[in-house]
Amino acid sequence: MNNQKKLPYLFILPGFIIVTTFIYYPVVKNLYWSFYKWSPLSQGREFVKFSNYVQLFNDEIFIIAIKNNFVHAVISLTIQVFGALVLAAILEDKIFRKISGFLRSMYFIPTLISITVTGLLFSFIYNPQIGLLNEILGLIGLGQFATGWLGNSDTAFPSVIAMGQWIGTGYITMLFVVAIQKIPQDLYDAAIVDGCNKIQKFLYITVPQVKEMTFVAVIFTLSRSMLVFADVFVLTGGGPGYSSQVLSTYLYNSAFINNEMGYASTIAMIIFIITILFYLLQAKIFSE
Amino acid sequence: MKRLVIISLVLCLSLSFFVMYSPEAHAEKTITFLHRWPNEPFKGFFDYAVEEFKKEHPDVEFKVLRVLNEDYKQKINVLLASENPPDIFFTWVGEYGNKFIREGIALDLSKYYEEDSDWANNIIPSTVKPFTYKDKEYGVPILMDVRMMAYNKDIFNELNLETPDTWDQLIDVSKKLKNNGYIPLGCGNKAPWNGALYVTTLNQRVLGLDTVKEDYNRYTGDFEETGYVEALERLETLIPYMNKYPNAVSREEERSMFVNGQIAMMALHTIEFPYVKDMQYEWGTFNFPEIEEGKGDPSVITGAPEGFMISKETEHPEIAMEFLKFMTTPEMGKKWVEMTNVISTTKGAVNENNSTPLMVEVIKEVEKAQDMSIWLDTATDAKIFQPYLAGIQQVLNKEKTPQQVMEEVRKAADELRKEVE
Repeated sequence: MNNQKKLPYLFILPGFIIVTTFIYYPVVKNLYWSFYKWSPLSQGREFVKFSNYVQLFNDEIFIIAIKNNFVHAVISLTIQVFGALVLAAILEDKIFRKISGFLRSMYFIPTLISITVTGLLFSFIYNPQIGLLNEILGLIGLGQFATGWLGNSDTAFPSVIAMGQWIGTGYITMLFVVAIQKIPQDLYDAAIVDGCNKIQKFLYITVPQVKEMTFVAVIFTLSRSMLVFADVFVLTGGGPGYSSQVLSTYLYNSAFINNEMGYASTIAMIIFIITILFYLLQAKIFSE
Repeated sequence: MKRLVIISLVLCLSLSFFVMYSPEAHAEKTITFLHRWPNEPFKGFFDYAVEEFKKEHPDVEFKVLRVLNEDYKQKINVLLASENPPDIFFTWVGEYGNKFIREGIALDLSKYYEEDSDWANNIIPSTVKPFTYKDKEYGVPILMDVRMMAYNKDIFNELNLETPDTWDQLIDVSKKLKNNGYIPLGCGNKAPWNGALYVTTLNQRVLGLDTVKEDYNRYTGDFEETGYVEALERLETLIPYMNKYPNAVSREEERSMFVNGQIAMMALHTIEFPYVKDMQYEWGTFNFPEIEEGKGDPSVITGAPEGFMISKETEHPEIAMEFLKFMTTPEMGKKWVEMTNVISTTKGAVNENNSTPLMVEVIKEVEKAQDMSIWLDTATDAKIFQPYLAGIQQVLNKEKTPQQVMEEVRKAADELRKEVE
């Protein structure tokens, strides 16, 4: 009997050890380091209390970075979550049954390509001289909008976001397709009897029925927006100026270029807090 | 069957263990050697050097770590802070290397320079100078990178143009090129160092090397001189002659436009010469023109040596130094030039037999030069070059004025001075 009580703990032990060593311990350690000023090269570590945090909120690059993360999040939510849901509903519609398999793979492929490769691909698309985007704009008579997409402060970050949407939408669409397939057909049949049109079916049956999946998709998209790094790093490196800096690229800069590990830890703490807050908020909203 | 699988698994594992640790098992001395060239032709040279050195010193084993630029920058900090730092590590010069010296990570090599004057005299002095801190040598330079203005001779001949010696001539030549449908100047500033290197040269030409050096130094830099604003204004003057959207064009794209004959002039590094060697047009180089109103000596080159330092923690300083000396002997210097087509820091390594006349021309400038203007982004502290480089991008985009940028740099310099005092 006694053994049987202990057994479950034994089962969770490996997981517990891994999570503690690789997640909880570093988080606590990171919090600790964020109160220090230190460089990886020097031995001295100076305790500076909250000065890293104070500095952070007076730092205009940090403000730009956090703003960019939020812009990324809002756009991603609209396109990736809402857009993907609509897309999934369309794919699951009878009209598209025949080609939906093909389209699903098409939309999913970007997720499978390495982000470095995608970055390179989009660098070509955005290239001012030979870029596909400028060519297309020229062809459809919008040549006056052609520009060096990654070189202007006002177009660089939107271009990065656009690539993120291209990569992410297909994945979320797949999640929704699976969720929609699980909705009992009876509901739709009943709706037809009641005289619902397609939009009404979507709004009153599909949307409420995929609530759980929406929760997952929202969390996934938001955390991806908050942690976005490679997209920016590959396409713009945070430039021009600081216009496309996000929290993680700024963290990288502080840690590995400026050698300010304490400050980088502080930024990491902020990212952590924001993500946790988002999670709690969503958990509350969706549990109601 | 099951037993067979298990036995072979165990065998495999123990074998791999043996393979992994075999060098340490019978070598008495192991040198960890970190450089930044996993790519050919440089990788080949270092592999060759290691093999040749091992022939003379059979008791020495090498563990070579090769990491490319960006990874290197990240890895070096972690490795040097660890308990087993690499014995020999690559570094750039300027503040980038000085911080290793200041933090007591790099070994003082002045002893070896004094002991073996035969070897030391064989290295071009101007390339050792940037590795010197408070009159002591802390590193051994292996290569020299010089930024020259490259130009397309065919285009220049077609339009009957002379290479410019002065700023006004540069503007004049650029105008003519532009009127004839060419892009006069290349500037691919997507990774922001390229614009910063234009400014490196301009700062030196306008203000003179002494002023510039004082301001690049983290203890004394205040960037109060108006010349810094002037240098940025001159960069602004060049914008109409550059390719469109400089911040959207990468260095590689800029180079291809030069190779394709779209761009008539670009600032090309000697280390990049191999990339343009297949160009179908004839090309040449000239030193960046003189700014007549400026205080700077027009013969000063913009460039920097790159080389190696030895960790203070090393157990075998003698062998590490022996290896660095070995790589910079006249024979190995020649080998370096043959294998890589890049300027060696060893005297006489670049000569008519193994290099193009162009390279020989450049090396003459290097040997003549008393000093050089080192890249802005390695000469200064990250706290300075980050706002500076970001600002230069914004100047090229016409989003900020030179005054605004220098205001920010001054502010950063003030903060840095306070911090390091």
